[in-house]
Amino acid sequence: MNLRRLLRPARSRLLFLILVVPAILVACNEGDPQSTFGTSGPIADAQADLFIFIFWIAVVVFVLVEGALIYSIIRFRRRGSDDSLPVQVHGNTKLEVIWTIVPVFILVAIAIPTIQVIYEQREPPTDQGPVLEIKVRAHQWWWEIEYPGEDVVTANEIRIPVGQWVNFTLNSDDVIHSFWVPKLAGKVDIIPGDVRQLAMRADEVGVFFGQCAEFCGEAHAKMRFRVRAEEPEQFQDWLDSMRRPPVELVSADAIAGQTLFAQNCSSCHSTNTWQGPNARNERTRLAGLRLAFLDNFKDTVVIPAPNLTHFATRDTLGAGLIELNETNLTRWITDPDDVKEGNRMKDLATPYRNNSLTSDDVRQLTAYLLELKPVAADAVIEPDSGGGGGGSATERGAATFAANCSGCHSTGDNRVVGPGLAGLSSRGDDAYIRESIVEPNAVVVDGFPASVMPPGFGATLSADELNDLIAYLKSL
Amino acid sequence: MTTIAFPKLISRPTSYTGLWSWIATVDHKRIGTLYGITAFLYFLIAGVEALIIRGQLREAESDLISPEIFNQLFTMHGTTMIFLVVMPMSAAFFNWMIPLMIGARDVAFPRLNAFSYWAFLFGSIFLNLSFFLGGAPNAGWFGYANLTGSVYSPGDGLTFWALGLLILGVASLAASFNFVVTILNMRAPGMSLMRMPVFVWMSLVTSILMALAMPVIAVALIQLSLDRVLDTNFFNPAAGGDPVLWQHLFWLFGHPEVYILILPAMGIVSEVLPVYSRKPLFGYAAVVFAGAVIGFMGWFVWSHHMFTVGLGPAANAAFTISTMLIAVPTGVKIFNWMGTIWGGKLRLDTAMLFSLGFIAMFIIGGLSGITHASPPTDAQQQDTYYIVAHFHYVLFGGSILGLFAGGYYWWPKMTGKRLGETLGKWHFWVMLVGFNVTFGPMHWLGLNGMPRRISTYAEGMGWETSNAIATFGAMLIAVSVLIFIINIIRTIASKQEAEDDPWDGRTLEWSIPSPPPAYNFARIPQVKSLDDFWYQKHPELLHDERGEEPESDEPVVEETHGGGSIHLPGMSYYPIVVALGMVIGIVGFMEIRVDIPGTDLVFPWLSAVGIAIGMYGVMGWSLEPVSEEGGGH
Amino acid sequence: MAQVAVKQEQHVHVADTNTGISNRKLLLWVFLASDCLFFGSFIATYLVYRNQSTTGPYPNEILDIPITSVSTFVLLMSSLAMVLAVNYAQRNSVGLARFWILAVAALGTVFLLFQIYEFTTFVNEGLTIRSNLFGTTFFILTGFHGLHVFIGVLWLLGMAFAHFKGALTSRSVEDLEMAGLYWHFVDIVWIIIFTVIYLIGFSDGEGLSTIEHAAAVVGG
Repeated sequence: MNLRRLLRPARSRLLFLILVVPAILVACNEGDPQSTFGTSGPIADAQADLFIFIFWIAVVVFVLVEGALIYSIIRFRRRGSDDSLPVQVHGNTKLEVIWTIVPVFILVAIAIPTIQVIYEQREPPTDQGPVLEIKVRAHQWWWEIEYPGEDVVTANEIRIPVGQWVNFTLNSDDVIHSFWVPKLAGKVDIIPGDVRQLAMRADEVGVFFGQCAEFCGEAHAKMRFRVRAEEPEQFQDWLDSMRRPPVELVSADAIAGQTLFAQNCSSCHSTNTWQGPNARNERTRLAGLRLAFLDNFKDTVVIPAPNLTHFATRDTLGAGLIELNETNLTRWITDPDDVKEGNRMKDLATPYRNNSLTSDDVRQLTAYLLELKPVAADAVIEPDSGGGGGGSATERGAATFAANCSGCHSTGDNRVVGPGLAGLSSRGDDAYIRESIVEPNAVVVDGFPASVMPPGFGATLSADELNDLIAYLKSL
Repeated sequence: MTTIAFPKLISRPTSYTGLWSWIATVDHKRIGTLYGITAFLYFLIAGVEALIIRGQLREAESDLISPEIFNQLFTMHGTTMIFLVVMPMSAAFFNWMIPLMIGARDVAFPRLNAFSYWAFLFGSIFLNLSFFLGGAPNAGWFGYANLTGSVYSPGDGLTFWALGLLILGVASLAASFNFVVTILNMRAPGMSLMRMPVFVWMSLVTSILMALAMPVIAVALIQLSLDRVLDTNFFNPAAGGDPVLWQHLFWLFGHPEVYILILPAMGIVSEVLPVYSRKPLFGYAAVVFAGAVIGFMGWFVWSHHMFTVGLGPAANAAFTISTMLIAVPTGVKIFNWMGTIWGGKLRLDTAMLFSLGFIAMFIIGGLSGITHASPPTDAQQQDTYYIVAHFHYVLFGGSILGLFAGGYYWWPKMTGKRLGETLGKWHFWVMLVGFNVTFGPMHWLGLNGMPRRISTYAEGMGWETSNAIATFGAMLIAVSVLIFIINIIRTIASKQEAEDDPWDGRTLEWSIPSPPPAYNFARIPQVKSLDDFWYQKHPELLHDERGEEPESDEPVVEETHGGGSIHLPGMSYYPIVVALGMVIGIVGFMEIRVDIPGTDLVFPWLSAVGIAIGMYGVMGWSLEPVSEEGGGH
Repeated sequence: MAQVAVKQEQHVHVADTNTGISNRKLLLWVFLASDCLFFGSFIATYLVYRNQSTTGPYPNEILDIPITSVSTFVLLMSSLAMVLAVNYAQRNSVGLARFWILAVAALGTVFLLFQIYEFTTFVNEGLTIRSNLFGTTFFILTGFHGLHVFIGVLWLLGMAFAHFKGALTSRSVEDLEMAGLYWHFVDIVWIIIFTVIYLIGFSDGEGLSTIEHAAAVVGG
């Protein structure tokens, strides 16, 4: 047999690993938006530096050991048909002690900086200015984003100010997920029923790709998100814009789409968290939907869904999946499964279940969603725009209902999370309705768990709003 | 002895040929063959699953298969490779070789041995039936709670998974008990522990690990099954349950499991290298000790699978240190293997090539392992393709290459024919190249941010080229397996007859005919040293190396009991009956619904049937006259 | 296969194994080592979930220490009976050995009856495997132990009515020794379980209050 011929591939493999791999490592560029190299913040920088340090140690060990292996294979191969016995060596204690001890020193050299970095990255530094708190709640398969104290709620796209430490408080609504923005920080798993913290800082302006890194079910591959690091002023402008009312709808399609959305989508998606009370209530609303889902997961029709307030200002659709534009949105609404198999909208939303979605509906919904953006900063804002100031008590009540109640209650007979409210006046008087709103657990309709309806409406609704709401409910 | 009236529905098998003789066999060699064939078939199935996975990932936004199918395939690929390929293939070699290497006529409990195989076979079939009965398991081989609960995995796939693995766990436990007792109790006279071949040592460590690790996963699986079927709260966050508990239990099993997968291959390589180097193993005691230390320390590193779970800096630092420590005995093994070939006269036959390939690939897997023994770097690598690359270098480059080495090495002993060397070398080189082309680029994919277990990825992420290369490599691996199959067929068809000792072996199995007779050893050997057979062939070495005079041919002591004739355990149908009853009992307990259109069958009565069959089998088993119990045959 | 006479025959002889322990007994030891990990995992689960239930009934409301102390005493006495049984078997007194074997089985049965009583009472008071984490971990851990006792009782009855009818053989004495090992093991495990659940954990109450837990789940 020709040993030289046999051994050649081994040598070229070695060459590949020694020369090509480091070359690839160096050659990372903007074409690799999720690379763990070319990092943009101190956390990911330190992690990458540590990796490079260990990597070169590994390369040295690799070259020495594989080199020795290949050398001894070539040198000690049997030549011809030499059947004599080689020297029978049984061992060498001194040598064996050496190759037990030397790796220990190498590993200590790796362990020391490792443990240093572990403790350095435990929490955000306290001496580098204020820390921005952001709450992230993972769902199958999207991200709920909340800026506590700012009354801003959004989904799937996180904006942060550049140069400022951000502390993410991570929580899960269903199963285990993992929060990972490679260019900013290594991942942290998100455990349901528990809270994890992850601090990071972006040192460059830019859009950083993130993705769920723990297998979380059917659409795990499509649970992505973006982190956009902006100059602090821009970031503040964005926060402000998220609290401004939406522009007035102009196209007829959009206006029709608004109605369609209220009838078919608003049980799960909210678009009104630009109002402070709604933003503060959003978590409770979604928690109610989750409890309703858990209560009846086999044939539920509701589930927590991404907040769509000022949706048109986003870059992407479907949890960082595709660019947000009319074509993609049309495709998404027409058949969500076509874009993201496994997503729950196709299974749960009425128009899909009834197969009643027309292309007109799709066009109108698309038009509506693409007009969901805040008014300009200098636009005159009605002080009372939230409740819809004018009109009759019933009309004002309808607006209050849409903003606060429609997520869980329909105005018909069908149960969403809570019972349908048609014909409510026949079930009780004003005082009963008022009590049901302010103290939801006082009287609970059979078959509905006591804890579902949030108890806070007595505080968030003004007396006038409450009166208008009752007037409206009685009119149903 | 007792004589209880027992309904003898089954008469004792008597024929030593034909299908029934295989079903009733208690011969460790036949059971080993059954394990080997079954494991190889599952290797092909898992390979096809892997090829479909690679097909899906060959390009961005591919829609060859749906995400649901993808999730089923990667779950079943991992589960199959671990539980239905590497473990049973190791069991095949344990079965075949442990008695031959320690000079015994069979394992300690031949019928228990048969039971292990049948339970394994039925459990594995049950697990794979899920593909046709409503969908295979789809939550990964690690099955992290609470995704596996009935809320987020409402189908039956994960019930199949939990129960299937439970059955396989019972099979593994029975097998491991058997091997521990066999190795500790059944060695030929003179074979002290430190005269045992390294493969037997590694089998012992592996079996002890199995005996102690399988209960942990079994408990976790019982808890999961109860959560799914009886709505208990073990992993239900809404009731205060902690999904991280599953991870602790799983990895407390899972890390010893890694060594269960790799130690047998390390044992094989430790046998092959000395034979083909024509030198003793360098530092036998150190290799044995390193293996035992790995088995022990393997219990204290589990949380390095959980560095990103957020256990806190103290836990992460502690498990960093223990993880790094376990690299030391692993390094010792590698250096001792290199010491073995150093100064030898290497015959580069296929078995030797696979062993050398094992060392070369295992070094890469070990070094990439060091990079994520460090939690800060692991935070970037965990759950990415970097990890996929790492453990394939350890488990494919390690375990699978090692098992192929064992296959080529022991094939003549097991079948009486040598596997073809030319095709063998093609097999090796195509597989080695294909392996590196497949898994090498995955290191880069992971560092470039590609998570594991994703059914698709977007364009423009910089992942397309590496994925395309990896898919091409997977096809090369498939070609190499085809070459292996052709080699087997040609070898079986050939007329050659292998010598009893074709490689100039060192251990006892080479001292008997190829293939061995049913009773293995006509005379139980007397062992006077490590590598006893080698020194019988080279008595002059005893003098050269140790200053011992070669002993004159003293008469070998005859096997004493039984007055000269050899007792073999009788064949029995009861092992397969008990296995069948156990499987039916476990399956029936948990209301597996078989989706027959229009019906929603639930089988609470099935468990009763299974238990009845099992009880009948156990009674028949314990009342059937045997000769294996009581030791020492 | 035919070159050598292959005989299948019944054969009883003393253990001539490398360790000096017979294969069957070594098997039992390995099994018990393995079983330690089974119980260990269940006990660890119980300990991890102490004080974690979000709703009642809690251990401090429902555990009846006096009654369980009595059943524990019964189980401890069964171990004593087992020692006597093995002792008489080794001395070749079939009748006494058989009597004490039946005593062990009877005491084991009494223990099981206590357990059935306890389980029924708990279920009547609203504690099931579904009601909370305590119920889940309590029933599964003690039930798993009860299953061991039940198998032990079956084993002993089988032995009393099969092996010990006629004369004692070395093999049947060894059978009894093995059953004894198993029985003592199950007994020791119960002492650990009794300590963990009843002695250390009797005052365990609600963990996170329902409201705090809801806040943790809902609020983040």
